[in-house]
Amino acid sequence: MDATIAEQQRILASDWGGGKSPFGTTWSKFMMWIFIISDALTFAGFLIAYGFVRSISQEWPKQTKVFNMVLITFMTFALISSSAVMAMAVGAARARQPKLAVRFLGLTIAGGLIFLGCQAYEWSHFIHEGARLTHNPWGVPQFAAAFFVITGFHGFHVFSGVTILAVVALRAAVGKYSADGVENAGLYWHFVDVVWVFVFAFFYLL
Amino acid sequence: MATHEHDVHAISYRTYTMTWFWLLVMTMLALGLGYAPIAERLKALLLVCTTLAKILLIASIFMHLRYEKINLIMITLAPLILAVILFSFTFPETFGSASHVISVR
Repeated sequence: MDATIAEQQRILASDWGGGKSPFGTTWSKFMMWIFIISDALTFAGFLIAYGFVRSISQEWPKQTKVFNMVLITFMTFALISSSAVMAMAVGAARARQPKLAVRFLGLTIAGGLIFLGCQAYEWSHFIHEGARLTHNPWGVPQFAAAFFVITGFHGFHVFSGVTILAVVALRAAVGKYSADGVENAGLYWHFVDVVWVFVFAFFYLL
Repeated sequence: MATHEHDVHAISYRTYTMTWFWLLVMTMLALGLGYAPIAERLKALLLVCTTLAKILLIASIFMHLRYEKINLIMITLAPLILAVILFSFTFPETFGSASHVISVR
């Protein structure tokens, strides 16, 4: 019996037994990382499928001529800036400065909303020019389909991120403040930024 | 709740600002590459390098990965590794017969 208890204690204290995290982090943060990794695989699938379709197409429209690159660069600027401010919000939350954290969160949300506004404008402009999921004026049907699927899926993530950040900011404003909660929301927001870096390079520039 | 090692590594606002600055510099560099009159393969290679550099900055500083345990850092590489495998398996198909080719209507 004593041997069984000793064995249980040994397992609990081991890296894989639950007593000591092999990842040295809280469960909530670890689960956020697992979510991010699985979501990253989804986007990787999208981008590789896009690369495949593009490679087997006889020609492909020149994106820098189709899209308003000033707008796209501004959207990138807004998202990168919001990511930087989000990192500062996490720092303020860890430093137990909830008011400062809420201000930084507010700026992050503003960056996300600016991005979404620009994307809505870009989509409406693109649709107005005749782009649909199945056809478009630039020839290759997959061009517009890839655009709508990839940027749409990313845009939905930005919208979700803004919603999550709004909830975290409101909770922090009323005193239900958790540095871990801010950090987990921040990880998601940075992930959204990371995905956009890939989309910006491989969809709009390559 | 346990206090983790990374909690005590407070990154200064100056570091975040500098990271933000370099991310913007690399964004402008990538934008320049998009318009540069160079071979597509070279452009792709340079864009991949720029993108990976930006990802490294965001992950290590904004996401605090440089303060995490190596176990966590390694599992975050899984999507990149699996993406490379998926790409390696699918891309050779693009060199196939003409039946693969999507024609422009």
